[in-house]
Amino acid sequence: MNITPGARLPATLNDLFLFAMMLTMAAVLTTAMVFQYHGGEIPCPLCLLQRVAMFGVCFGAILHFRHGYSARHDGVSMLSALLLLIISARQTLLDIYPRPGHSYIGSAVLGLHMPVWSIVIAVAILLAFAIKLAVLGGEGLRDRQPSPALGRPARWLSLYVVATCLINLGSVIVQCGVDACHTTEYRLLSGS
Amino acid sequence: MMLAVFATLSLALLAGYCGPRWLAVWSMLVCLALSIGLFLFEIYNPEYGFRMPWLQVQLDALPQVWPHGARS
Repeated sequence: MNITPGARLPATLNDLFLFAMMLTMAAVLTTAMVFQYHGGEIPCPLCLLQRVAMFGVCFGAILHFRHGYSARHDGVSMLSALLLLIISARQTLLDIYPRPGHSYIGSAVLGLHMPVWSIVIAVAILLAFAIKLAVLGGEGLRDRQPSPALGRPARWLSLYVVATCLINLGSVIVQCGVDACHTTEYRLLSGS
Repeated sequence: MMLAVFATLSLALLAGYCGPRWLAVWSMLVCLALSIGLFLFEIYNPEYGFRMPWLQVQLDALPQVWPHGARS
């Protein structure tokens, strides 16, 4: 699709925004996996659901870099960010009151635990989408293919996110089997 | 249930990367619906304790109101 010179800057900024967002989500998910596999921290069910929401945020960006811009892709990402905010706020409220067996799960990073970071991340994503839509709009970007300069790294990054999700799928199978994920160990490895 | 959530999520991302868009979007919507259902199950399940019993939004009994000027 031809693009007018006036729409080139907003289109490029939109590509950069979605690429940076997907890169940030990939970094957060990778950090969580390092804590899990290297640090031995088994994720709780709400932690896993927060990962699902973060993958959902990436989903909209993956669709954009494959099929071109659509407000629907942004909508799916924003829905996932809203889900992330709800789940992480609930877990923070749950953990903020100390009681046996319900302390904060996992290590703190820069003084904040994972669900609190998830709140910060979800609010930042929603705020960024709101600013992007307010400043760039979406009318001139409809069905526009991403810029070739970002297309190739975005495809590799999308592939990395897909691979990360498949690793998490395997990890969930080993940790939970087909039951609920209320475990303190990898169920299939423990033999119970 | 968590397995179903991650299976549909993986299908959505795979279809989003190299499959038809309708399959990707529908898989993602199913994944989000399953995630919401699992989230509600987790927080309302009395067995696993993801409820917040210290936050009461319902009064056990009406508070006793003393008439104006009376001493309790």
